[in-house]
Amino acid sequence: MTNTHLKHARDLALTDSKYYPSLMPGVLPLIGPNSGASLDTQRFGADFLAEMFASPMWSSEAKQPIALLVLDTLKCYLEEVHDRAIVKGAIQAAASVYPLVYRHTISDPNDMQHWKTMTEIKSNILNRMNTAPPGIRICCVKFVQQVVLVQTAGVIDPRRPDHSDISLALVPRDHPLLTYVQLEAEGQGLLDRLLDIIHGDHSDALLVTSVLNSLGVLMHRRPVSANKILNSVLNFNPLKLANSPMTPKNKVNMKAIERTTRALLVNVLKRNGVERPNDPNNGRIQHFLERMHRMRQDIIEEASRKRPAPSEPTDGLDAAKRQRLGAHVPTPPTATPSLPPGPVSYRQLFTVDPENAAANFDVKMFQDPAIVAQILIPVLQSVDEKKLLDACNVVRSRYLALSQSMPRQPPPPAAPPVDEDEYEPDDYEPEDEEQLANRLDSVGDLAHPTPTAYELPKPPPLTPEEVQQHGELAVRRTFGMINELEEKGKGTKGGFNRLAGSDYGRDAWITIAARLASRASVGLDDPYDGINDEFAVKSVKGNLSISDTIRDLLYDYVIRDWKKRIDVAVSWLNEEWYNDTILAQSAKSSSKASTNGVSIPQKGNYYRCALRLLDGLLPYVAPSDKGLIRLYSELPAVDYEIIAKVKKMAQDPERVSLATQVLQYLHMFRPPVKDIVVDVTAELWRENDRAKPKAGALLKVWKPEILQEGTSGEGGEGGEVKTEGANGVTEVQAVA
Amino acid sequence: MSDPRLRGRAPAQQQPALQPAPPPPPPPPMEPPASLDGANDAAPSQEPQAVDSDFKLKFCTVCASNQNRSMEAHLQLAAANLPTISFGTGSLVRLPGPSISQPNVYKFNSTTYSAIHQELAQQNTQLYTANGLLNMLGRNLQIKGYPERFQDWVPGKPRLEHKDDQGYAGTESGVVDVIITCEERCFDAVLEDLHNKGGRMNKPVHVFNVDIRDNHEEALVGGKGIRELALMLNEAAAQEMEIHGASGWDSGGGNARAGFDERVPDILAAWQEKWPNLPAIWSLAWF
Repeated sequence: MTNTHLKHARDLALTDSKYYPSLMPGVLPLIGPNSGASLDTQRFGADFLAEMFASPMWSSEAKQPIALLVLDTLKCYLEEVHDRAIVKGAIQAAASVYPLVYRHTISDPNDMQHWKTMTEIKSNILNRMNTAPPGIRICCVKFVQQVVLVQTAGVIDPRRPDHSDISLALVPRDHPLLTYVQLEAEGQGLLDRLLDIIHGDHSDALLVTSVLNSLGVLMHRRPVSANKILNSVLNFNPLKLANSPMTPKNKVNMKAIERTTRALLVNVLKRNGVERPNDPNNGRIQHFLERMHRMRQDIIEEASRKRPAPSEPTDGLDAAKRQRLGAHVPTPPTATPSLPPGPVSYRQLFTVDPENAAANFDVKMFQDPAIVAQILIPVLQSVDEKKLLDACNVVRSRYLALSQSMPRQPPPPAAPPVDEDEYEPDDYEPEDEEQLANRLDSVGDLAHPTPTAYELPKPPPLTPEEVQQHGELAVRRTFGMINELEEKGKGTKGGFNRLAGSDYGRDAWITIAARLASRASVGLDDPYDGINDEFAVKSVKGNLSISDTIRDLLYDYVIRDWKKRIDVAVSWLNEEWYNDTILAQSAKSSSKASTNGVSIPQKGNYYRCALRLLDGLLPYVAPSDKGLIRLYSELPAVDYEIIAKVKKMAQDPERVSLATQVLQYLHMFRPPVKDIVVDVTAELWRENDRAKPKAGALLKVWKPEILQEGTSGEGGEGGEVKTEGANGVTEVQAVA
Repeated sequence: MSDPRLRGRAPAQQQPALQPAPPPPPPPPMEPPASLDGANDAAPSQEPQAVDSDFKLKFCTVCASNQNRSMEAHLQLAAANLPTISFGTGSLVRLPGPSISQPNVYKFNSTTYSAIHQELAQQNTQLYTANGLLNMLGRNLQIKGYPERFQDWVPGKPRLEHKDDQGYAGTESGVVDVIITCEERCFDAVLEDLHNKGGRMNKPVHVFNVDIRDNHEEALVGGKGIRELALMLNEAAAQEMEIHGASGWDSGGGNARAGFDERVPDILAAWQEKWPNLPAIWSLAWF
């Protein structure tokens, strides 16, 4: 009776879901376990609840208040009824209801009662998870998936707020009932439980596939956990069952797990293809799918190999047809033609099969022994041992016969196996990699019979030119690497604790290069050579030192982007200066000791390199490049020549002010060179009319007497300005 | 009405007619199956049917175009008294045309079988009678109105408007317990689509693939296989419903103790032994 009523109610709700809310108060008392309803009615009720909350026809907002009404019924179903159908339905309904009650509790923090009931339902279901019959466990799996889903932070994209997505992101940190951290931890723990299932026993594919099929949506909607899940899936072996006996059931289970895994990963791949085409995981997934495919092929192959042998007799039949069956057919010894009478050559002696094309091959054709070695090694690896032995025996018997028939000829030298092989009459088929690898594995033992130590011949000494070539090559590669490293940007510097060249970054390599250039060859050159060192760059031809190659490259490197590479320039020049200074000191002490002290040139590599660098760089300095000031200030040592370079630059009227700024800076912050700076400024003032106002302004402070001298002694210059101005005016007038 | 594929429409005419001449081989021509697995073409009344009880599993058959294989299976299952719906997973309904490069293409969910039948009959009655298409469409329009696309299906949406479809009884709520696809491609498409739908209903569904080649003869054999599988599954599920209460929960052993879901691999393995020419796969997925 009640059943008919209930069925009517359900039919009504199916016509329009808006009836669900109004039906519930009437239906609930009828289906509840305490109503004394029959088993069938209760089953109907559990299914009805599951169906109602699963229905896509009404919104979760509308479901939410109804969800609170059914909690007690669900709890009773789970705690008091022992019927699989009812429990299954109840857990399915609970899985749909959990997010709704969760959201209700978030918005109504004072409603402790409903959340408590929900928590009791949850613990009841979680307790079943490991012990219940599989049909119920899969429903628990889905419930757990829902819990993980809502207790993991979702995507918070302000551009696309998804209000229907119930996730941890909705939970405020100060909620009295829901503790964010606890929920999150529980979600993670439950996810681990799910993932444990796929790594566990595979004899129950029902559970494993149910988990796999529930992971896809977790990965999609909870990117935070996606990597964890993916790693777990990629680390699991879908073909685990291949090792157990291939019963029909195991076959079904194995196929199920494999195909489900594939479907999951292909789905992830397709989704990534749209959303994240460059995801590095895509490659891993692809790789995993390929490997799984191969493994399956292997298993199938193995299984098919176990088919019963064909019923035909397999012993000793046509060798050509039956080779694969492994029947041991003795191959008839190939008739070897006997040697022609009379004296024979070594070639004839060792040629087993004169018909074979290989016999007519002249090895001398190869000029380069390396090629012969390249060919021989694979050939040797592919030699059939038996055939080789046969061939040896043939040659041995021939040799015996010959030595008996011929009186005391000098015996042919024992041929190393390599030679024998040249005449091996077989046609060698190219082998695939795997076969080759197998052979290589087994070849280990073969290699042992000749234990005499073999030493590679020493390579011929390199000519000096070659040494230089290879050195240059190495240096260029280093710079290639420096160029690549540049993009990574600089890490934090370790201050005084930093060890130069210890972090393999760009700076480390620059330091290494600079030290190689400045220090490596010191003392190797003839000290007298050092005198001419300053001109060495010009006469590089025949110069064996690698240092200048490195210096050239460092120079190029800095010039290519000097503004960004001032630090490189400075550290390089510092190394040069340091080395020069050390050299000068040691030269001083040694010249004191020795009677005929060789005078080391005052200006070593540092000044040469610094001048060269400035010469190369100044044409490119823009009027606003304050970097130049920095470079000047950081150079380890400056002398007149270096400072005088700004005079040249000041010839460009646009860069006059930069030149004077450099001078001013040096004057202020490098007191030791103050005098030089003043001198240079004075020269600038004297020689460059356009620079006069600026230089004059500086000199007015530093050394006003020069200005005096300018007006009185060398009055011509001061007058010239005026003349020029006058000239300009006259010109204008003339034109006008 | 001599075509065996039409027998489902005419349960009244049950003279075990002589095996009719098979229709000319449809493109692509296939060899008739080497073994029919002993499945004889008996009249529908002699075929096993599901017992009319309160509990029945609900089925869904799926092929590429919802025309041949899934419809044959739909017919078989409906004839076995099982609630059944059917779908195709292709992007469009594709039927052979005058040449291999000119297929007839229709939209899912809107083009009715009778409209397709009409169009093809106008196009070339002789050709489409010869390759069995008109026969097939004639059968289909007796089963349901139009081909439906699996990906467009909203599980859980009531199907009250499909009242007149064969096998409707039981499917009104728009969910099924078992999906049977007829091709691996469709199996993969179904699993993929279920991932995309996101399992919001929390309802488990057993997805099977029974590999059937796409021609009329194989579809017939495959339909029989699917029917047998479905009946085995339904029986196991009904048995689970019989063991209930405290006794069913705590006592019993072996198969009696095992529920329906966990018996599925055993059932499929047993079925596969019997139908070795219809390679099958299975997975438990979620609506």
